[in-house]
Amino acid sequence: MKLSYVIKRVLYSLFVFAVVITLNFFIPRIGVADPAERYYPPQGNMSDIEYEIVKQLTREQYGFHVSTWQQYLNYLKGLARGDLGTSFRPGSPKVMDLITERLPWTLVLSVSTMLIGLIVGVLFGVVAAVKRGRWQDTLLLNASTVMVALPSFFIALILSFYLGFEWEIFPAYTDSTMVSEFAWTWEGISRVARNAALPVMSMMVGSIISYAQGTRNAVIAVTNEDFVLTARAKGLKTSTIRYKHILRNSLLPIVTSLGMSISGLIGGQVVIEQVFNWQGMGTLFLEANQTNDYPLMMGIMLLLSGFTIFAILVTDLIYVLLDPRVTVGDKR
Amino acid sequence: MTKRLMLLLLVGLLVVPLAGCQGGRGSHRPDPNTLYVGSVQSSFPSAYMPWLSREGIAPTIAGMLYDSLFSYDEVTDSYLPAIGKEWYYVDEDGEPILTADGSIDYARLEEIYSDPKYDYLAVKVVIHDNITWSDGVPLTVEDIYYSFDLAANHALSNHAGALAWTSDLKHKYTNGVLVQKGIFTYERGALEQGYYIAPDEKDTVIYFHVNKVLGAVTPLFTSVLILPRHIWEPVVTPQNQLNSSAPNEELLYRYTHPVGSGAWVLDTEQSGSQQIVLHRRKDYHLTKDDGSPLYAVDTIKFVLYQEQNVAIYALLKGHIDVLDSSVSSNYLLLFAKEKDLFVCNAPGTFTQTLVFNLNPVTSERNPMRNLLANAEFRKAMALAINQDELIKNVLDGAGVWASAGLMRPTLEEFYNPQADSLLPSDYEQRLALANSILDQIAPDKDGDGYRLLNGQRISFKILGTPREQDVVSFLQIQFQKIGIDVQYAPKGAQPESTYLYTSKFDLTLQGVIFSLSNVDIMYPAHFSTLGRTSNYGRLVNEQLNAAIEEMRYTLNLNRKYELIKQIQPMIAQVYYKVPLYTANVISVARTDRFTGYQVVEGATVLNSASLQNLRRVEGR
Repeated sequence: MKLSYVIKRVLYSLFVFAVVITLNFFIPRIGVADPAERYYPPQGNMSDIEYEIVKQLTREQYGFHVSTWQQYLNYLKGLARGDLGTSFRPGSPKVMDLITERLPWTLVLSVSTMLIGLIVGVLFGVVAAVKRGRWQDTLLLNASTVMVALPSFFIALILSFYLGFEWEIFPAYTDSTMVSEFAWTWEGISRVARNAALPVMSMMVGSIISYAQGTRNAVIAVTNEDFVLTARAKGLKTSTIRYKHILRNSLLPIVTSLGMSISGLIGGQVVIEQVFNWQGMGTLFLEANQTNDYPLMMGIMLLLSGFTIFAILVTDLIYVLLDPRVTVGDKR
Repeated sequence: MTKRLMLLLLVGLLVVPLAGCQGGRGSHRPDPNTLYVGSVQSSFPSAYMPWLSREGIAPTIAGMLYDSLFSYDEVTDSYLPAIGKEWYYVDEDGEPILTADGSIDYARLEEIYSDPKYDYLAVKVVIHDNITWSDGVPLTVEDIYYSFDLAANHALSNHAGALAWTSDLKHKYTNGVLVQKGIFTYERGALEQGYYIAPDEKDTVIYFHVNKVLGAVTPLFTSVLILPRHIWEPVVTPQNQLNSSAPNEELLYRYTHPVGSGAWVLDTEQSGSQQIVLHRRKDYHLTKDDGSPLYAVDTIKFVLYQEQNVAIYALLKGHIDVLDSSVSSNYLLLFAKEKDLFVCNAPGTFTQTLVFNLNPVTSERNPMRNLLANAEFRKAMALAINQDELIKNVLDGAGVWASAGLMRPTLEEFYNPQADSLLPSDYEQRLALANSILDQIAPDKDGDGYRLLNGQRISFKILGTPREQDVVSFLQIQFQKIGIDVQYAPKGAQPESTYLYTSKFDLTLQGVIFSLSNVDIMYPAHFSTLGRTSNYGRLVNEQLNAAIEEMRYTLNLNRKYELIKQIQPMIAQVYYKVPLYTANVISVARTDRFTGYQVVEGATVLNSASLQNLRRVEGR
């Protein structure tokens, strides 16, 4: 891999991130004459004079009393110190603290879902491709069609009602002390696993189908390539052709898909988290939205954007490692 | 190979379920003395500084941990004891202005305070002498002085709501300097002001100077939760304000470890973002008449649910005792099939109204909206509204008819039936009258029967939330009968700044609640004041304004009540905020462990009366 290519990609990513930071600061302010009004909407029992005093206090408290450019500079200074700002919540917690509190729990769900989805999905995909036209393949294709039509919240509610409430096989929703009493012990970890079972199952169905379908299509496409025909003509064993030649060469689209999934790891799944009472990033963003807590919204958006840019950068670099022919942006 | 892969796949799929299987199927409500309450929220708060608690469950919890001076009973228009035991309007010597039977002598009050030398009313409050904070320290009037003084001092409290609550208190700060003193205790200038307090009353008697309106005491008595001075005074400074955007550790500790005077105390060990545990204080000063504890339950555990269907199912399956959220009337059929359920179908206090934009700012005027400026046109639309049909179809019957005067008929002492005798009650008659009025204003109709204005169909958009679409649909049917077209328009996230304050709407749905405790503030806000108030349609009606002003400023309570009754037909007659219905508050509780739930107007089943009356079911 060329060093110049890596430097170019990194610089490009940094530029995009700088644009994102700027947009992230200015977009919430578009159409808002006074941010203090977002924090403190007019109250029925306040006169205009009282409301003006209230807004002035709010502006000073949250730094809205200086010019927008000064606010932007203060925002950049804060970011340089790793400070994403102060939430509007009671007690004025730091946005970073709120995010670090929730992020691990979102990662528990999303990483488990991604790993299970990847492993099982790739296996399914390979089987479906190898057994093309047979029941395994038909099952995958039909399952894909059904999954497209079934929203995840529906699956979540069905699983919660039947496997949770009715048959009591899994907890129907998260144990209310799971987070507060968590400890790195076997009991603590198995408790998290118990509580995560249904949310992960709700999410992994779609994930498995998605990876399986991607793998199936990639494997079938590669199977028809000339080099596979050559390998067959050379008399290589079927398993060698399948796993050394076909599967390895089918990895590129899977890596792309994985890169995209990684960027979505920290965003959380609002509906799944809601149904199962899971205190993750999705519900944190929802709460921020419902309460007009836009320092928190900005913090989450920045983190998501930054992580997505990073994931795309890593994917691009891995892509080049896997296929040295890829030189995006190189005009030679 | 394929077989091996399939085997691996099966093993993989089994691992997750095995890891997730329930260890046991123990009871979801293991403690017999704990009331398990489900609450539908996105998250529970972690900070319980009472004045900062204004969203979700936070105000409910703050109200259980802390007390105000009094609570208000709107049916009798009286203040019930909390921290305060009794209160009086007093003369300049601090003597109560009472009649022979011990009630407030409003005639003398008016006589004394009509003297222009007074720009205030003096109020004496006597508090209970046996109150302690949850850390055991006695509560005295110095705590009350501190709380009100802090609320009025922006430099220390930096709290927006506190400004509104204390706006009628004649105790003012400018840039952290006390410029007008309006609170007096034994140790803080009562004697100098002429109010004698005996030494043995020094911890229990406090005087306030408030604005010269009868409603001034309401927010002071009921909205300001009293803070413990010994907890907050050492840490609250101009640099470390009570409501700080960067609270230091000492403040944060106090936010998360509340010390209150309420009947309940927070279990900080067990409480978190998904559950809140409150224990009943054994030494709470208020008891039942027989001396037994006011509340029968020892512990309340609030459990978070983020999705209402899951919470309802959790209740039906016995995971919780009570669901502390109102639910849609759609669930009534589901509940009817269940055993051991108490469905609380409480009369509501919130009236849904249709608001006309009758006086838009000049730039937002157009021929259609000009129609809404015509009182006869609005009257015709009001006539076409069939509340019974709306209650039947929109609320599945779980609601009651609302008065055109917008005062609830259940407030028997104050409701004026005259407001509802202005229009005929028979719907066919109403439609005939509405059509005859409109035939004068816009007689031409298009092929579909809709009336025309300058060749254009008369059509209005009604702003509402997505949940209110069905109301608009049924209104569409009703207005169709008089040839007027209405369409739903989404309100969006910030309707006030986007549409309502800027006159950019035709009609909007608005919930209103008027009671004796709020008319001083709410009548002007809804019907008089222009600007950023709830008077979205910018009504200007001098007669109504004059009545509202007189009602606010009279010191004669009987006259005030009389004016409240007079104002109701005036409100009805302007056809500005036309009532659609008052929805019931539907909530539900299980009766297999506790019974005695009480139905309280406007409240869910988890109300103070229920908590006082609950009793364990024997043998369970």
